[in-house]
Amino acid sequence: MRHFVIVGVLVLLLSILTFWGLEAVGLMPVQASLQAQTVDWMFRLEMAVISFLFALIVVPLVYSLLVFRRKPGDTSDGEHIEGNTRLEVTWTVLPLITVLVFSYLGAVTLGETRRLDPNAMVVNVTAFQWGWRFEYPDYGIQSNKLYLPANRQVVLKMNSNDVIHSFWVPEFRIKQDVVPGRTTEYRITPVRIGEYKVRCAEICGASHAYMEAPVVVVSQTDFQKWVQESVAAQAATSGPDPKRGEKLYNELGCKACHSIDGSKGVGPTWKGLWGEQVKLSDGTTVVADEAYIIESIRQPQAKIVAGFEQQAMPAFTTLTDAELADLIAFIQTLK
Amino acid sequence: MKKILSLGLVRGLLWQIAGTAAGALLVTGIRALMGLNPWGSFLFTEPAWVVGALTGVIAFVWGVGALTDWFKWALGEETPEHREDPPGWEKYFGVSLDHKVIGIQYTVTAILLLLVGGLFALIFRLELAASGMQFISLQLYNTLMSLHGMVMIVGILLGVAGVMNYLVPMLIGAHDMAFPRLNAFSYWIAPPAAIVLLSSLALGGFDTGWTGYPPLSTRSPVGIQMFFIGVWVAGWSSILGGLNLIATVMRLRAKGMTAFRMPILVWASVATSLISLTATQLIGLSFQLVMFQRLLGMGFFDPAKGGNPILFQHLFWFYSHPAVYVFILPGLGVVSELLPVFVRKPLFGYRWVAMSSLGIALVGFLVWAHHMFTSGMNEYLRVPFMYSTLLVAVPTGVKFFSWVATLWKGKIETPTPMLFVLGAIVVFLMGGLSGPPNGVVTTDLHLHDTYFVVGHFHDTMFGGYIFPFFAAIYYWFPKATGRRMSEKLGKLHFWLLFPSFLVMTFLMMRVGLLGMRRRIADYDPALGLDFWHLLITISAFLIAASVLVFLYNFFRSIKHGEPAPGNIWRSRSPEWQVPSPMPVHNYEEAFEVVGEPYDYGLPGSTYIRFNGKSH
Amino acid sequence: MAHTDKQTAFRLGVLIFVYLAILTALEFYVAVAVPSVVVLSLIALAKAGLVVYYYMHIYRLYQETETDPNSYEYKAGTLRLGLWLFLLSDAFVFGGLAVARFNLWGMTRPPFNQVLGLIITSVLLVSSFFMNRAETAMAHGDRRNFVISLVITLLLGIGFLVGVIGIEWPSAIREGITPSANTFGAVFFMMTGMHGFHVLTGVIFLLIVLRNGLRGLYSAERHRAVEAAAVYWHFVDVVWIFFYPALYLIGTVV
Ligand code: HEA
Ligand code: HEA
Ligand code: HEC
Ligand code: CUA
Ligand SMILES: [Cu+2]
Repeated sequence: MRHFVIVGVLVLLLSILTFWGLEAVGLMPVQASLQAQTVDWMFRLEMAVISFLFALIVVPLVYSLLVFRRKPGDTSDGEHIEGNTRLEVTWTVLPLITVLVFSYLGAVTLGETRRLDPNAMVVNVTAFQWGWRFEYPDYGIQSNKLYLPANRQVVLKMNSNDVIHSFWVPEFRIKQDVVPGRTTEYRITPVRIGEYKVRCAEICGASHAYMEAPVVVVSQTDFQKWVQESVAAQAATSGPDPKRGEKLYNELGCKACHSIDGSKGVGPTWKGLWGEQVKLSDGTTVVADEAYIIESIRQPQAKIVAGFEQQAMPAFTTLTDAELADLIAFIQTLK
Repeated sequence: MKKILSLGLVRGLLWQIAGTAAGALLVTGIRALMGLNPWGSFLFTEPAWVVGALTGVIAFVWGVGALTDWFKWALGEETPEHREDPPGWEKYFGVSLDHKVIGIQYTVTAILLLLVGGLFALIFRLELAASGMQFISLQLYNTLMSLHGMVMIVGILLGVAGVMNYLVPMLIGAHDMAFPRLNAFSYWIAPPAAIVLLSSLALGGFDTGWTGYPPLSTRSPVGIQMFFIGVWVAGWSSILGGLNLIATVMRLRAKGMTAFRMPILVWASVATSLISLTATQLIGLSFQLVMFQRLLGMGFFDPAKGGNPILFQHLFWFYSHPAVYVFILPGLGVVSELLPVFVRKPLFGYRWVAMSSLGIALVGFLVWAHHMFTSGMNEYLRVPFMYSTLLVAVPTGVKFFSWVATLWKGKIETPTPMLFVLGAIVVFLMGGLSGPPNGVVTTDLHLHDTYFVVGHFHDTMFGGYIFPFFAAIYYWFPKATGRRMSEKLGKLHFWLLFPSFLVMTFLMMRVGLLGMRRRIADYDPALGLDFWHLLITISAFLIAASVLVFLYNFFRSIKHGEPAPGNIWRSRSPEWQVPSPMPVHNYEEAFEVVGEPYDYGLPGSTYIRFNGKSH
Repeated sequence: MAHTDKQTAFRLGVLIFVYLAILTALEFYVAVAVPSVVVLSLIALAKAGLVVYYYMHIYRLYQETETDPNSYEYKAGTLRLGLWLFLLSDAFVFGGLAVARFNLWGMTRPPFNQVLGLIITSVLLVSSFFMNRAETAMAHGDRRNFVISLVITLLLGIGFLVGVIGIEWPSAIREGITPSANTFGAVFFMMTGMHGFHVLTGVIFLLIVLRNGLRGLYSAERHRAVEAAAVYWHFVDVVWIFFYPALYLIGTVV
């Protein structure tokens, strides 16, 4: 009996200490969304139960090890206890109840994180190897940064151009894969102003590690300001601009495969491309003019440059005509 | 030289090289005749490599001599039932029908693979010690990381087969497995499979992780095909091994050994084999479909052709979740088997522990989609899979509570095997308890594909397999060699491994929660994780150091260990009632089971009685 | 005594075959007249059940009397168990393929010629009948009948392969259903290909048994290889019992 009391007290002590220690260390990054609060609530509950269960096993284990150690020279056996059905039933039924409760809470909190706000703003997201692109259909804006107003739900409708990616902002907690051939949905309500990053969480090839994009949560008024500025900037674009083309080159991920200094990468270099005769894998040649370059970007499989892999280049179907023109203007500067 | 050439393994390797070349050249020739481009970026084209790898495997098995008897049977010839192995070490390098030899072959191959996989881990851990790219390329990182995962898993599967092959016939009083030739065949397709798997390194590698999800895996270099074929063939080893084991246990038990008088490890092995017999087919099929998608453009997983990438994930996880229980059930069986010996008390709740193995195996079939909570599969599937996933905690809990109750009021001794058993319990507890947060969908949305999951599964695999595997080696080493391993070095091994391992996985979970994704070669310094990663890398190297201590101990003790001919652990188990090393046909006299296996502390009881009749 | 025994066994084989034929006809009628997936699945299950019980003798697994582990019968029993375990394992491959079919096609199917499918199916069913006859003959020491039935089985098996690969595949390709065209082609070729591969191994197995049978290696008491070949052959038939409706009967044509 004495043993049980001591062990019981120690179990309680250790579970409280463990849980308190975990809390003190601070396990999660900052909470930047409404949904994060739900997730963290659930996680904290799990940690409490885990701390208790950990103590429940480890304390009697270590205690037995110290107290019931065989004395030197003692070769006798332990007590002949074969089992105890009542105990076995107890430690079957209690965990069973625990996991059922947890599943129930899991389902409830899951529902919470999925709740849809009718006033939500929609943003279309395109993932590709290796970058993100955001389109605001309400405002006709395209961007490589995800600007979000605080305290308003946003629904991301996500598509992938090539392989599976996964949209994850650790501070938002929620994660959703982006699958080619279908649209997946991500609902989030940012509550904390600041700069975060989307980090692609599904391996998607060589540069998976770098598939990040800024997420900027701003106040509602700042968001309106940003919208107006972007709309104005887009309207002001008069004619193609190689500067913007270069920016696209860096931000869209073209850089990963195409060099501008003549060196060979996954794809052919852009240096000296404009107006050249390009040898294709079927033996024909074609002049690198506007039509060819646009086709190469929108349907890369149509014509394959000799010596390069057919499947390598993803199709960039979401680029606007203005952006294509900017890219071409940039390529023209690369003599 | 002549002696070396006469070794089955060497012949097999030569045949494999020739077979690969023949197959690849054949396809290349056909392509040339058909006017297709015959040469590819790695000398041969992809179809040539695929066919070559397959013919190479077949040639290996033929060359080593694992098919000879079957061909004779097909021609209507008789072969002797038993075949004596020549004495000496050569028998380990050729086809033997003795389950003990095969068990050791499996075990040593497993250790080799674990070393290779560990070496990969050390290389990429070094890369991760600080943010920024240090010394390997992104593609090489991905290849090493993916191969680390799969090589380790194949290593574990072979290790599991080794433990079961060596022990189960002995534990049930059989003189061999039910189908000795099938047993040899199951082993001998594993080495060529491992070679094919590793050859992916030379063929451009692959960058998909061990899960090989399409469409990424349809875009990887040729290396991925070697990965698929290697795993596919190794899968057959697992399937046939499981088949053999179930047949053995069902047909060859000693007299009087009823279901609930079998040693507990036998229960665990049957549960394991049920999984590997059935579920393994699905990983084979899923990989096969991707292979054909690459070769013939069949659009199973290609959305452009109406295919469904998520179908692959269902097929893959239908195996790969139950597979994790293949890794641990024998390990947990070893824990249950050794605890009573060192506690000198019966195993608490034998029947419950036995049934919990089956329970884990069966429920394990119904939980696979918990790896896909964020995948975009049908949303309504998430909740039922959450329920089933958490349900596995119940039978696992029964094991834990029964172990603790076994320890309670025992007379505990702690030689090296017992230390590893206790280490296994603690480490597996950490791993097991980090499972439910993954299983609850809400929290998994944060945890999925982070280092939290990496921490979770290293804890479960080490606790459920690596620690018990070491325990089993220390414990049964005398049975195989007649000598015991050094206690001093064994303790050093444990005390180096255990703390560094806990530090490593605990920190993995920590960085995962803070935003560290899986499968990245480089991480954002802004996350502030550099210090933790450095510590993880240091722990990894301490683990490697402990493994070196083990290896030294292992090889030294084969020749120079302290002689241990008798029942040094004072066990009741049948294999310890005969002298070590084990005689060739196990028991000269058949035995009969007359009592319960774990009745320690019950005066006058015995488990088995030799009845004087020989086989 | 042995003689009437043999007659009864042969007669049972015929009876089961008649049932199978009726069920297959019914199945075809249902598919054409009242396309009900539930009824089709039930019919397929009934057919599979008949084959598994009466042709594959699953009950022999638990009807064992021999206990001496060194006897021929005991070893044959172990072998039988091993084979059934293998079939259980193999069934998972085909199950996986069926899952892929229903996931990718849903309640649609490509415009295959249903009559051709019915003919191919019948060939395989008839071959199962003769396989049963061959095994029954051997079990009663009737070597002549054994060889004749086995040869017929073999010819039908080869006929099935020719039907699938030589007629059905080219006709699918002519309709534009190539392996790389869409998921119809991909799934169809993978399902029939994997099944055909099993038929091929079965044919090889039967050839070996035929050769050894001609050399007189089997007797009424010792013919476990014949039994194994038969069980395997029927299993391949059972698989087709499910694949046939999955490919040709279930779903609306697109
Ligand atoms: C040996 C291997 C092993 C084992 C035993 C387990 C055991 C478990 N695993 Fe793990 N798991 C892996 C290996 C393993 N896992 C691997 C390799 C991956 C990653 C694959 C990849 O993506 O590469 C993975 C990933 C993984 C995921 C997916 C994570 C993600 O990618 O998002 C999930 C989600 O549910 C999960 C859950 C569980 C659960 C619930 C258990 C349970 O079985 C644990 C049960 C045990 C306990 C709970 C502890 C003891 C019980 C008690 C003390 C009783 C009382 C307990 C309660 C009331 C809770 N695991
Ligand atoms: C049994 C399985 C097993 C084992 C034992 C290990 C052991 C180790 N694992 Fe592994 N790991 C996996 C299975 C395993 N792992 C799996 C399945 C994955 C997922 C892969 C994926 O995402 O696809 C993974 C992924 C994984 C990652 C994540 C990679 C990423 O996502 O980018 C990391 C990172 O730290 C890691 C580290 C380690 C370390 C440091 C060890 C150490 O314990 C290793 C210690 C070293 C040794 C045991 C060998 C000692 C070697 C020597 C002493 C040198 C001598 C060698 C020779 C002479 C050949 N592992
Ligand atoms: C993953 C690698 C990859 C990325 C990313 C990539 N490309 Fe390519 N690109 C290729 C390859 C490989 C080829 C040659 C094969 C072909 O023609 O499809 C190519 C060809 C081209 C060509 C034709 C060039 C020539 O020499 O004829 C153009 C133009 C082009 N890409 C533009 C782009 C633009 C614009 C982007 C970014 C928005 C981009 N690419 C991103 C791999 C890539
Ligand atoms: Cu996109 Cu990883
Ligand atoms: Cu799992």
